[in-house]
Amino acid sequence: MIYLDNAATTLIKPPAVSAAVNRAIKTMASPGRGAHRPAMAAAQEVFNCREAAAELFNAGEPERVVFTMNATHALNIAIKSLAHKGSRVLISGFEHNSVVRPLKAVGAEVRVAGRELFDSEGLLRDFEREIRGAELVVCTHVSNAFGYILPIYEVAELCREWSVPLIVDASQSAGVLPVDMEKLGAAFIAMPGHKGLFGPQGTGILLCRDHGRTLMEGGSGSDSISEFMPEYLPDRLEAGTHNVCGIAGLRAGIEFVKARGTDSILKHEKMLVQIMKENLKGSDYEMFFDSGENQCGVLSLRSPYMDCENLAEKLYARDICVRSGLHCAPLAHKSVGTIDTGTVRFSFSPFVSPQQVKMCCKILREAV
Amino acid sequence: MEQYLIMCRSLTYAQRAERVLSQNGINSNVIKAPQNLLTGGCGYAVSLRKNFDKAYSILNSSGLIKGKVFMRVNEGEYEELKI
Repeated sequence: MIYLDNAATTLIKPPAVSAAVNRAIKTMASPGRGAHRPAMAAAQEVFNCREAAAELFNAGEPERVVFTMNATHALNIAIKSLAHKGSRVLISGFEHNSVVRPLKAVGAEVRVAGRELFDSEGLLRDFEREIRGAELVVCTHVSNAFGYILPIYEVAELCREWSVPLIVDASQSAGVLPVDMEKLGAAFIAMPGHKGLFGPQGTGILLCRDHGRTLMEGGSGSDSISEFMPEYLPDRLEAGTHNVCGIAGLRAGIEFVKARGTDSILKHEKMLVQIMKENLKGSDYEMFFDSGENQCGVLSLRSPYMDCENLAEKLYARDICVRSGLHCAPLAHKSVGTIDTGTVRFSFSPFVSPQQVKMCCKILREAV
Repeated sequence: MEQYLIMCRSLTYAQRAERVLSQNGINSNVIKAPQNLLTGGCGYAVSLRKNFDKAYSILNSSGLIKGKVFMRVNEGEYEELKI
């Protein structure tokens, strides 16, 4: 199997991840509830993961690290904390439905800026023009469909100049690019645990500058007499028993990223993109490559002769795992002009080899 | 033997307090606070047997003292320290 769907979920994980999950399921109970050994072991594991994430993302105190089910859950908390009916919200042209749909659900007035693929300067010009009057900016760090690295630090600077709160969707960048909470000054940064951080599915993180609005209420193991959720983090946003096994695996994944370094991971993924570019040169595929530095290890292509689903089927038949369609990001596909066809997306990880990418390109050439 | 309980606003704060103390060479552990010392229901505390003054000073300067402090006087009996 050649697994190239890492932008959805990294399937090949560092071995320490499954070992941690296995250990947790056998030895850890509910954190923050009882005080017996398995409960305290769980509490320690959860705290260790908070510390590891706070360090990797320069988030400050570990209580600013809130565990969620996934990035969508984290984005929903963030967006519903800051956007309301009629709020004017500025977003990029590359947002996922996990940003667009919650904004629509609360009745925000959404404006889109920066729709040219790989055009950071154009995006910043559009943001500068549109930010006046905005009450919130929500911006992805990397397009999940095209691997476009948006100029998030410059967007953050603009938000600071205009005193507009910023929510960053780090779904594709966490574990691949430097994501620095302090430097970004973001109100919230949302990310999944199961992509570039190599945790199991069902894990996510919301980095919080301040406490947010609860999506769920319930037991927190603290202030139990009160009928309301505590005001303080992380308890306020973590009702119910944690996904301890997932969090244990996530910590192992974060430790892998810290040990390997995001620079090294990004370099490897960019190298794979380059190999793909060279090996498909001269083919009839329409490939969405950046000529500069604004692309990480995610890329899309389409064939003039074949529907993207059919092309993906041909790849599945050769045990190559990719993702076809609109990638839950119709806004991005509208921006790029691929909304009617979709694309086939290839996404890499440190566990993808150059040989695998070359093999994939050979099969792609044979497919049309 | 002396025992001090520094009440914390949450489990995570208690864990942070324990970590800070450990980094300063002070042994402590996180425990579930006795119900008769709580007003808001379940809570956690940092328990320590030695170096209380130093520990309090460290936690205070780290902004981690958010609750009351107790000293054990008898088995199951605690007296609040007014600091």
